[in-house]
Amino acid sequence: MARATVFRFQSGNSVFHRLDPLTKFAWMLSISFLAFGAYIAWIQIVITLVVLTTAVGFAGISFRELLRGTWVFLVACLSFFVIQTFTLPGTHEIFSLLGRPIYAESADYALASALRIYTIILGSLVFVRATDPRELAIALVTQMHVPYRIAYAFFIALRIIPTIEEEIKIIRSAQAVRGVDRQKGLAGRMRETKRYAMPLLVGALRRASTMVMSMESRGFGAYPERTFVEAPRMTTGARIFCGVMVCCVVGWYTALATGLVHSFYVFAPA
Amino acid sequence: MTEAGHTAVYDPQVRNEGPVGDNGNPVVLVDIEDLTYTYEGQPTPVLNGVSLKIREGEFVLILGPSGCGKSTFLTVLNGTIPHTLKGTLKGTATVCAKSVPQTKVSVFAREVGMVFQDPEAQIINTRVRDEVCFGLENLCRPPHEILARQSEALAFVGLPDAGDSSIFDMSGGQKQRVSIAAVLAARPRLLVLDEPTANLDPAGMAEVFAVLHRLNRDHGTTIVMVEHRVDELADLVSRVVMMDHGAVVFDGPPRVAFSRPRVAHSEEAQIIRSSAWFPQASEFAVDLAAAADISLNPADLPLNVAEGIQFAERFIQVLGRRPATTTIPVVPPHEASATRPLLSIRNLSFAYERQSPILSDVSLELETGGIVALLGQNGSGKTTLAKCLIGINPVPRQTVWLNGKDIAELSSRELSVEVGYVFQNPDHQFVTDQVDEEVAYGLRIRGFADDAVAKSVNEVLEIVDLARYRHRSPFSLSLGERRRLSVATMMVLEPHLLVLDEPTIGQDYERAQHLMGLMARLRDRYGTTVVMITHDMRLVAEWADRAIALSAGSIAFDGRPADLFAQSRLLGESSLMPPPIFDISTALAARHPGRVVGSRLSVPDLVQSIIG
Repeated sequence: MARATVFRFQSGNSVFHRLDPLTKFAWMLSISFLAFGAYIAWIQIVITLVVLTTAVGFAGISFRELLRGTWVFLVACLSFFVIQTFTLPGTHEIFSLLGRPIYAESADYALASALRIYTIILGSLVFVRATDPRELAIALVTQMHVPYRIAYAFFIALRIIPTIEEEIKIIRSAQAVRGVDRQKGLAGRMRETKRYAMPLLVGALRRASTMVMSMESRGFGAYPERTFVEAPRMTTGARIFCGVMVCCVVGWYTALATGLVHSFYVFAPA
Repeated sequence: MTEAGHTAVYDPQVRNEGPVGDNGNPVVLVDIEDLTYTYEGQPTPVLNGVSLKIREGEFVLILGPSGCGKSTFLTVLNGTIPHTLKGTLKGTATVCAKSVPQTKVSVFAREVGMVFQDPEAQIINTRVRDEVCFGLENLCRPPHEILARQSEALAFVGLPDAGDSSIFDMSGGQKQRVSIAAVLAARPRLLVLDEPTANLDPAGMAEVFAVLHRLNRDHGTTIVMVEHRVDELADLVSRVVMMDHGAVVFDGPPRVAFSRPRVAHSEEAQIIRSSAWFPQASEFAVDLAAAADISLNPADLPLNVAEGIQFAERFIQVLGRRPATTTIPVVPPHEASATRPLLSIRNLSFAYERQSPILSDVSLELETGGIVALLGQNGSGKTTLAKCLIGINPVPRQTVWLNGKDIAELSSRELSVEVGYVFQNPDHQFVTDQVDEEVAYGLRIRGFADDAVAKSVNEVLEIVDLARYRHRSPFSLSLGERRRLSVATMMVLEPHLLVLDEPTIGQDYERAQHLMGLMARLRDRYGTTVVMITHDMRLVAEWADRAIALSAGSIAFDGRPADLFAQSRLLGESSLMPPPIFDISTALAARHPGRVVGSRLSVPDLVQSIIG
């Protein structure tokens, strides 16, 4: 039994787990919109802290698991931060390193950019970890009136991601046993992808074929509607929460449009 | 009963009478007449003039070599062919009084339940209750009825409290029982299963067979099943259908089916003995009768261990009190090197997650040469241990030595020179677009000259009988051929240690025998140590020089297979079962010590012991 991937639904009884899937979905979308529009570091820091608090305090995910699930992105974001800090122009020099001036504006923008990517990834992890994809699909059908065939296609796509991730690991191990080394550079990575693609595709097709037969043989698609034994419901509190999040997003983009948020910087002077 | 016939009007001895027709006979549930089916784009039909009638309440086992059309036939029974899988269908097919070509798969969902080989691929949901409710929700049943039926179905398969469990936390046997519950909830009249125990350990297999037996006996559900593991199934089924080259070549009761050797054809058109997939108790009786030149009445044919013992008892009485001339054969252990061990593991512990260790304080040594079976129930740590030997799972320093070298200090390429590993799914290991290039790959990256590469590739392709496919894509071969190719890619490197992970899954017995023949050849020719992870106890009995049983990540047994099979408590704890011939010979040795001396691991050994 191999180590379970972090990007997979894990049942639990945390506050975040107990929220209905659409509220969690709205939370993730709002976080992503807020992070996407924030190019000033302090705002990004606040958003990241909110996501981290939600993850650890309300969704019961440990720091260790967060690190395990996002370390690759963390390294990428750090590299991004360093490169941008060194290369972007600015006016207020904080200090110089290796003979190059480091500007406050560059560092501020670089930090915001790096945190933006990381926050979106982190928000997605919290959502995937605490949301049963099936419940989300059901909520889309019962509350958003999405046709159930489309909702189930979405659900199965989410359900199969960890399986494909696992399959890639196995293929990598299997090919390493043949003496295939990990490839470097763009051309090498493309060769590597080609080697993985065929077995992955063959396996995915075989699995998809069985899944389709399994679903059809149990009557999937027989009728335009279907019963849902347990359909999640959005409570009044959850509706208020969603309303607050929508207000935050609208307020933030309004502030951006009117130039209200240009007055505070982390590194750069006001 | 028909032999090589086409009109199969069979009057079954149904133990639990189902609904009867106007003439007083059970209702015909499946009525297939001269059915021929060709997959889209294929030149030859995979089903060729199949005619078959199955009545309500029957338990039908379909046997045949890989590629004979068994699984294709099953998919006709719920309309997957021709509605989902496209191709050309000729002849007539009526199931549950509905014409298959004119009835959608979703309509059959009310009456025909399908269970596939791989529970991972067929389970849609992540929670047990959701999976069991899925079918009834699709059929728009009211929620209170769905919940009541899912409780019944889960209780029936022995998982009454598992509704809230995550599918990911279940063993293979439990997942397959959930799959069965998921179709039982719709209360099908016909249950169709395609090798449902292929991925399960012996305990998981027994769980599934027990559920099917109760379903058929107590509820009269008609069952049609393809399965290679017949030892535990032969006495549960009411009828056996044998297929070859897309046609039905035998149709009758199990005792008649297994009463004489038969032949069939493999996917590669080679003739194989179909008796290879007979129950071992039946194979023993057939061989014993042949050796004594006595004709065997099919009614007397044993199907299980108890009947095998009774049969042999009667035989021994007929033979009289003439003492046996044979003594217990001393099986010489395979010549092992007296020098340092090939592989040495000292106090190895391993965990993917710190809080849930998989291996705990494992110590063992493997000598050069020999076939070692690595056994244990699903999740006992077999594959984890094997992956520690090839660097996929990183091991701590000073715990695993290969030829005196600490493998923690070897690169993956250095390790791959000494250790080969054949994965469960051969497709995962293919890295080129052509069969001969695939075999040559390992030699080329090690810098062998072109002529040496060509010579080795030719030789190995001949050994594995793939020379005629050398220019084809590896992915275009049949499963058996792909498995042989993956073995060939390792053979050509002459590794000191070769690990095979479940080499016989999804393969018929004849193919498994052929593969093990290759392994024995490697052992004898190159002194390779072969470690095979398997649940197939007949294979272990016939081929393994040594058996290592893991239980909860620790070594529970390390010794000769015969000694392992004699420890019933240990076998129970490790979810293992001895091969039937071992149990038969052990019982006979206790009752007739003058004729059968000790336990035996193969049919010929026991036959010779009795005949003298």
